Amino acid sequence: MLIGAALFVVQRALHAPADAPSPLNTIVLTQDDLRQMSVSWLAQGRPPLTPEEWRSLIEAKVREEVLYREALALGLEKDDTIVKRRMVQKMEFLAEDVAAAREPNDAELQAWFDKDPARFAMPPRITFRHLYFGIDRRGAQAKSAADAALTRVRPLSEDAAVALNVADAFMFEDVYRDRTPDHIAKDFGPPFARVLFELPVGVWSGPVESGYGWHLIFVESLEPQRIPAYEEVADDVRTQWIGEQSDLAKRTAYEQMRSKYVVVLPSVPADAPGAASRPQASDDAPQQ
Amino acid sequence: MQFRLTAILSATLIGFASGSAVAADVANHPQREAYFGETHVHTSWSFDAYIFGNHMTGPADAYNYAKGQPIKHPLGYDIKIEAPLDWMGVTDHSEYAGVVRLANDPASPISKLPIAKDLVVHKPEDIQRIYLQLGTSMIQMKPIAALVDPSVSGTVWKSNNAAADAANEPGKFTAFCAYEWTSTPRYSNMHRNVFFRDCAKVPEMPFSSLDSQSPEDLWNWMDGQRKQGNELLAISHNANLSNGIMYPTDVDFKGRPIDKAWAESRDRNEHLTEIKQIKGQSETHPVLSPTDEFANFEVLSYLLGDPAGTFPQIPGSYVRQALKDGLGLHANLGVNPYKMGFVGGSDSHNTGVPYRQDNFFGGHGHADGEIKTRMTGALFAGLDTRLENPAGLTGVWAEQNTRASLFDAMQRRETFATSGPHIKVRFFGGWGFTKDDDKKADWIKNAYAKGVPMGGDLAAPAGKAPSFVVWAVKAPTSGNLDRIQIVKGWAKNGQTFEKIYNVAWSGDRKADRLTGRVPAVGNTVDIEKATYTNSIGSVELTTVWTDPDFEPGVDAFYYARVLEIPTPRWTTIQAKELGIPPPDVVAATVQERAWSSPIWFTPTDAARKAVPAGTTVADLKSKGAVALTDAQLNDLIVGKNLWLRNNVTGGIFKAMFATNGQRVIRNVTQGRMPEQSEIGAALENGLLGIPTTYVIRNGKIVTYFGNAPFEMTVFKAGDKTFAARSNEFGFANYEIVPEPAALNPNLPPGASL
Repeated sequence: MLIGAALFVVQRALHAPADAPSPLNTIVLTQDDLRQMSVSWLAQGRPPLTPEEWRSLIEAKVREEVLYREALALGLEKDDTIVKRRMVQKMEFLAEDVAAAREPNDAELQAWFDKDPARFAMPPRITFRHLYFGIDRRGAQAKSAADAALTRVRPLSEDAAVALNVADAFMFEDVYRDRTPDHIAKDFGPPFARVLFELPVGVWSGPVESGYGWHLIFVESLEPQRIPAYEEVADDVRTQWIGEQSDLAKRTAYEQMRSKYVVVLPSVPADAPGAASRPQASDDAPQQ
Repeated sequence: MQFRLTAILSATLIGFASGSAVAADVANHPQREAYFGETHVHTSWSFDAYIFGNHMTGPADAYNYAKGQPIKHPLGYDIKIEAPLDWMGVTDHSEYAGVVRLANDPASPISKLPIAKDLVVHKPEDIQRIYLQLGTSMIQMKPIAALVDPSVSGTVWKSNNAAADAANEPGKFTAFCAYEWTSTPRYSNMHRNVFFRDCAKVPEMPFSSLDSQSPEDLWNWMDGQRKQGNELLAISHNANLSNGIMYPTDVDFKGRPIDKAWAESRDRNEHLTEIKQIKGQSETHPVLSPTDEFANFEVLSYLLGDPAGTFPQIPGSYVRQALKDGLGLHANLGVNPYKMGFVGGSDSHNTGVPYRQDNFFGGHGHADGEIKTRMTGALFAGLDTRLENPAGLTGVWAEQNTRASLFDAMQRRETFATSGPHIKVRFFGGWGFTKDDDKKADWIKNAYAKGVPMGGDLAAPAGKAPSFVVWAVKAPTSGNLDRIQIVKGWAKNGQTFEKIYNVAWSGDRKADRLTGRVPAVGNTVDIEKATYTNSIGSVELTTVWTDPDFEPGVDAFYYARVLEIPTPRWTTIQAKELGIPPPDVVAATVQERAWSSPIWFTPTDAARKAVPAGTTVADLKSKGAVALTDAQLNDLIVGKNLWLRNNVTGGIFKAMFATNGQRVIRNVTQGRMPEQSEIGAALENGLLGIPTTYVIRNGKIVTYFGNAPFEMTVFKAGDKTFAARSNEFGFANYEIVPEPAALNPNLPPGASL
């Protein structure tokens, strides 16, 4: 299609009044511009553009460009809040770009990590087997049944205890591997999680109450909370570093620029009309 | 342009890098895990949340809260979730996103706009004023131009998605890119939450209600997005506040008759609906489901903005009725527009969300964030804050905790909702389940192999009746379970029905042989102390159930509802804290619950044809029947009794039309009326002598039911007279009959005592 040609040049002269002998201005639309117009058209769920629609879309784009340039020529952008706001925003994007553009090296991230490694602390992890004494089957006797069973299983190995078949079938897992306190709290309730991580390793103990009944527990292993090595969390460190750098860049950039300004405020009494929109007033939180 | 593109690009790259780093070791569960999450939460970036006093916390804080970290309530105190979530999508309003926050931030350029001075909050009164100003602009579709400039709203949208990317940890926590489309025509809630499968593909700008308030336009936009490979879904919510327009059956939002294309469009885009949130439940209403003894649960009848002299319409505002109407529409259109699974949500405007009765801190910043404010029933835009309740919750059965796995599960409706606690429920339907299929060690694997999970369609009949495996386990920190029920809905000749079956319950209670009712579980709540004990109820309930009333030619759906034992409502707990009696406007105890998404049955064409066809209005007209005029209707009914037979059920009843414009229904054939939906307590009211107003206008007899017009047209066809009711999809199901000598069809003719 003709419109698909590499460049689409509109000669202002074609539309210019005959008595305007000003030099020709050129408006250039690139292939990318056209592609973007087409994409945003399709993005609204409409069928592909007809040649007629192409023409009017392009004419609208041209109109925007013409009026924009004429407005600039008249200096209309000055003191326009919307233009100002857009420019301010571009400054902010710029600041963010600056932060994001710089790729940190490993040494730098490592040093940053070393300053406060506790923020990357890894929770403890537990692996345990349990025997369940449910209240559905045993009602108020669930705890005493678990107590009685404990005396029988305590001298036994993990497998021998299970083979005794003294407990009830559990709805979920019989063995939980490598779980954090959060995970256990979600599955059994927070009180159970608190007790569980205090239990001795390698023996049967309990009974411990959960939201479902009583449990005898055999802790196979407990890996305490620890501060990871930098290498283990390098990705996470990098993400958090970038976040911090972006905030920092924006803040320092603004502080630097701000330091070049002196702000003069009118001396308006606090209760005067209009005082409400003064900066310090907007910190007032509404009170119930 | 250059700056902006670079910024987007770098944000995407960061998201991608952190998202893909751990994808390799994501745990996979072939039998699917219940992942609990949030589909509906607002932060200070939502225009209304900001003016409710939520100034400090944004989407990143919402994700931190969901992961278990404490954050600040808008009033400054710490709030912490009861149990961390597995996933969340922050759904700030797409309309005016971020602008109120920016208007109140002296450093922001927006605060220098003339409009900004109207948006600055100084006094509590400002909150309602600004809410109404922006809300009305949205309601009346008059966007405030200075505030909808893409350079502002586009930025907020991008930051929102960047926050989701930053919080997303495949295998551990999923953060969705999402937003709320906040269409509120004439104060009626038509809101949808829109979720995207892949944050890398989200559009430059979301489609907002300032673009259009019509859901049809939203679906068109979504179809366009999907064509471009951007998978997304919309979740309707707060149907209970929709004033009867969330689930229409006659005309769409634009007033066009509902047709096949409309039904297909809705079905493509809305597989889910929110059944419960802070502003009430949308499952059903006691007026719509008079035989459901648990329907009166967190009913909240209210319109956003509380316009004077207007209150919501009940029919059209509840999910169960929509599911039933969907079956009726399916028979007519060949497509069911209301094939919806369930989610629960919060709609909290506090960034953080209270899910539990013992952790309730309100949902609207200053309006209900302080115990004394909410316990006095302070009016929040006309709403008595004591009627609010903790957030609902969504469970998703998925293989992995990733965007793709969870999204796909949501699309196939393998979801369930709870009223807040982490109750788990599984539900499978099939043709070959037998008695112990819920007890074997590998029952889940077996159930997937032999049937379909919640959200699915039963396969073609391979047996006399479908059977269902249902299983539920209590939340570890909440009340034991009272019972599991199966709610069945079906449609016959445009008439819709529902029945609730108790299928599993705790203890040794016996179901009533005739009614199937199971006695109440009991109540351990000490209202004064606001405590309860788990000395009643069960930890786990499970059973295999076969539909005893199955008809192979009739469209039907089934969903499971799980009830906890009674526990104290938040108002009872906080009354104890204050040392005052619990408020009398709400129940002192609640039965928390979970709802599985439905499983649908669609008959084969042959089976459908085997069911005797009903009479339609079109049939009558083709035989030359004409509708009675107002004058003829007047002669027929005013000051008279009319005996009518419901030709679908065979039930006969008497409608008495008094000359003063009052009507009652009486003398209903035993056992024939109560199952039918949308007649409310017509029989009970009739027996008590409580009438309803009727008028004759435009050839119709109009009564009001749940604040909705309920219309009957009467046709004379030869020596027979038929009546067609609104919302029965073109059928004329009622026939005028002579007064019967007796009304008990169960008694054999000629039987004597």
